[in-house]
Amino acid sequence: MTTTGTRPARPAARTAPKASGHTATARTRGTRLLAALFLAPTVVGIVVFTVVPILGSVVLSLFQWNVIDSPRWAGAANYREILSDSTVLVSFRNTLVFMVLAVALQLLIALTLAITVNGRMPTWLRSVFRSAFFFPLVLSAASISVVMKYLFNEGFGPVNWLLGTVGVAPVSWLTSQSGAMAAVILTYVWQQFGFSFLLFVGGLNNIPREVHEAASLDGATGLRKHLSITLPLLSPTLLVASVVGIINALQVFEQPYVLTAGGPGDSTRTVVMVIYETAFEQLRFGAASATGVLLFVLIMAVTALQFRLSRRYVHYQ
Amino acid sequence: MSSTVLEPVVSRVRHGLAPWARICGIAVCALLTLGPVIWTVSTSLRTPADSADLPPEIVPTEPSADAYRAVFDKIDIWLYALNSTLVTALIAIGQMITAGLAGYAFARLDFRFKKPLFALVLATMMVPLQVTIVPVFLELKVLGLTDTLLALIIPAFPTAFGTFLMRQYFLGMPKDLGEAAMIDGAGPWRVFRSVYAPLAAPGLAIVGVLAFNYHWNEFFRPLILETSTENLTLPLGLVSLQGNLGTGSISVVLAGVVLSMIPAVAVFVVGQRPLREGITSAGVNR
Amino acid sequence: MTDPLLSRRGLVRYGAYSAGAAALGGVAACWDRLTAADIPGRDDGSLVIATLGSAFDSKARRALRDGFQKAHPGIKLRINAVQAYDWSDFFSKILTQIAAGTAPDVVYVATEGVQLFAQRLGVPFDKWVRRDAAELREYFNDVHPSLVESMMYEGSLYQLPVEFNAADMYLNKNRLGRAGADFPAADWTRDEFTDLLRAMKRTSGDGFIPYFWANRLWGGVVPWLFANGTNILTESKAPGGDWLWRTFYPEARHSRGGGYRWTTPAADSDRVAEVYDYLASLVKDGLCTRPEGGDGRNLVGVFSSGRVGATPAGGFWAGGLHLAGMKPADYDVQYFPRWRTRRHQFGAAGYAVLRTSKKQDEAWEFIKYTIRKDTLAELFAANQTTPARRSMVDAARYRKTGPAHWQIFYDTLDKIPETGPIPAPPQVNEVEQLLIKHTGTALASAGAVRPALRRLQGDLEKAMEREL
Repeated sequence: MTTTGTRPARPAARTAPKASGHTATARTRGTRLLAALFLAPTVVGIVVFTVVPILGSVVLSLFQWNVIDSPRWAGAANYREILSDSTVLVSFRNTLVFMVLAVALQLLIALTLAITVNGRMPTWLRSVFRSAFFFPLVLSAASISVVMKYLFNEGFGPVNWLLGTVGVAPVSWLTSQSGAMAAVILTYVWQQFGFSFLLFVGGLNNIPREVHEAASLDGATGLRKHLSITLPLLSPTLLVASVVGIINALQVFEQPYVLTAGGPGDSTRTVVMVIYETAFEQLRFGAASATGVLLFVLIMAVTALQFRLSRRYVHYQ
Repeated sequence: MSSTVLEPVVSRVRHGLAPWARICGIAVCALLTLGPVIWTVSTSLRTPADSADLPPEIVPTEPSADAYRAVFDKIDIWLYALNSTLVTALIAIGQMITAGLAGYAFARLDFRFKKPLFALVLATMMVPLQVTIVPVFLELKVLGLTDTLLALIIPAFPTAFGTFLMRQYFLGMPKDLGEAAMIDGAGPWRVFRSVYAPLAAPGLAIVGVLAFNYHWNEFFRPLILETSTENLTLPLGLVSLQGNLGTGSISVVLAGVVLSMIPAVAVFVVGQRPLREGITSAGVNR
Repeated sequence: MTDPLLSRRGLVRYGAYSAGAAALGGVAACWDRLTAADIPGRDDGSLVIATLGSAFDSKARRALRDGFQKAHPGIKLRINAVQAYDWSDFFSKILTQIAAGTAPDVVYVATEGVQLFAQRLGVPFDKWVRRDAAELREYFNDVHPSLVESMMYEGSLYQLPVEFNAADMYLNKNRLGRAGADFPAADWTRDEFTDLLRAMKRTSGDGFIPYFWANRLWGGVVPWLFANGTNILTESKAPGGDWLWRTFYPEARHSRGGGYRWTTPAADSDRVAEVYDYLASLVKDGLCTRPEGGDGRNLVGVFSSGRVGATPAGGFWAGGLHLAGMKPADYDVQYFPRWRTRRHQFGAAGYAVLRTSKKQDEAWEFIKYTIRKDTLAELFAANQTTPARRSMVDAARYRKTGPAHWQIFYDTLDKIPETGPIPAPPQVNEVEQLLIKHTGTALASAGAVRPALRRLQGDLEKAMEREL
């Protein structure tokens, strides 16, 4: 990496315009050496523990392997098989539905609360609220799903009891198709929204106060002001929050696994659950790897799409 | 400025809601957010027979610590806590180092393939653990690390999100500081060591707290990678409390959850400030 | 301005140094912990036993290890509690270990995995059982042949049953009393059961569900299928096994075979549909909730607090309810109600020896140790399962925990000879998953039973064709 010479020492020359040509080259070399050293732990780690395993997975997706016997070449058979398997296809649909609803809800709640908390209130109260909203994030998804399973129980759960006090009929949270998806989404969003919330709080703090005041003096009020002024200024934060949110949502596992075990039927079975079940319960590691490869491609595609869209809609200050 | 007079008016116009209504609304949201946690704590202090009471008795009339005693009785919670602490602390420190260095390189150093390398790092966020766990397992076997705590620690050192955070963090520091040092003849290492690194502590704290948070609660990797009872971490050890065919007492299960929550909450309380500030900076793209 | 900045920097620097030093010190001090070098019996040729973590707590494991060590000082022993949500999780983890070449020698296996292990991984016990027949006679005399047969595969014996649980019906006596109903008779019928549910529903307020069950292989739909004389997979017996029956159960030799075979799916049969229609009608009338998928973790809490009147469970529940604070007088157990037959379902468990083990003879010594009465008495003190030995299911055992009709637990085997194991072919994990999945759909909405069963049938056919 440090063997240079033909390449112009452009960056160094720019950062240190007064340095002589000779020291600039030395500095470039030094910079590159330092960069190599600094990057080594991360890059080596990623190559060994992510890139190579992914390649391994791709290779594995072309074999039939049950762990006990040695792998058998299968070509594209695994892909053909999973693409004609209704459970796999449904799981992709569920995952996309989950992603759209969960991320939208998460961002909406986080943004509303962030704007509200950022309004005038005693400082101590603000920090109490901030801590409260962030708190679920420190809990384990598996444990909290166990708790939520009790809370969402149709006949005896506190959730339906609470709804009952305001006159809502009991909801079949975990045992009807739409109820189960709703329960999984609520559990997930409940735990995750604090992260987007903090992102937004930070983003809002970075919006100069004068902008607000100018807008208010111009007569912009409430919702309209937020739509026309806050949101565009917040768009870089929105991008980060939605990218991270979507990447995480596409990998959802613990909540449906513990709450509904993917049911009723396949209605809350997600792609990662299918990967887990295919590999570790049915011992079809080839088919599981193939599903994993498809999921990886999907995540990449969605993320790329987001960045493309972001070029049009994200405004940097 | 005449803001002292104008402020309440401006505020009302700005939000369209009376402040007290806003505060009440948000307090309800906060209560809903903490509700499940409160229920967990209070149920762990009641007997299982009272666990399903509606409305739930939030403050138990006869609180009982039996469930907590049972946790210490049934599992080697101290050993599991030691394992969890070792794993989580070392991962946190390791991630602070790797993310600090790599984040600095991506933010402040120029080198070839910077963009594709950064994209590669970010792309690892998109890889589900379940996809790579089997090959990782086989690699660890080659390295002779299966069924050791190091098997959990070493693969977790590189962190995509941490690197991203630290890059943002370093980008947020004034560029002139480093340039001034360079004009004074400092090499790239000296610029890092004496100008930027000392300013990085809050950013690193976030990486550390986030790592702690995530890995303290981690279930899937230890589930697959650890075999011996002595190597279990807390979330796995707690599974025993569920009892044969789920017959364990719910109070005991929840007492275990509450106990395992304590360190995470402690770190949260201590690290909340840097965490908040750090996540803040991540959202500001440059 | 520079002063506070400097001191802060200094602070940060020294903070970083001391943190680094502490980390290094910590790593050095805990190096053995990190590399697991401090675990006694690791890589030193110990006999390694894998048990399901939730089945025995750490005290029970220690007792098992210390007891065995005393009996066999020459064999070093390590017990690993493998943590998993349920049996299929547990099996997959063992298989991963086998793949990695770190397999245990002995694995605790329930009915769910008997054939999965026997077919690909297990060592038959036949030669050892023949050799040590005299020593084992006392054990077999004490264990019902149905349990033994459930651990045979194609004529060979792969495990010795240690515990079992049949699905009987638990009833909340307070709810029974409030409904003005007598405790049901031993040969009660399905319709009497339905009437009882109705009576309980009438006399109880909101937040009460007469019948509650978890959607799982053991104790979910299967008890009803068995009561109606059907199954989701056609059941038959493998030939063979005569060597065992002749030696230990001469009176049973004609009715027994070489283990169960579960083959052609029969989920679209009328009998199966009848069962689902019945359960759907219970759901419709508000006599039971739609079943939740999963491990039944909710059950103990809701039953012990009187929010549920009846639920299927086995002997393992006595300990669970006691732990939950239920008094013996508050509940009791009766046989599962009769439909076309009185057949009950059970699941059993015992230790299997892996073919990859290099210490198979030592493993056999361990197996013999685990079936000793004193060993089992220590292990099962808390009534969190039913011992496989008849003589251990006695009044003294259930005095503290209840139920009053504890005899039911073993009589489900003794008095009802057709009682059999849950269907668990080698493809069990997929079968279980499909059953849970389609049961969920079948009962999730009105009119869904038949389409769901047709899909269950189709999916089961695919799963059973798949070579493992």
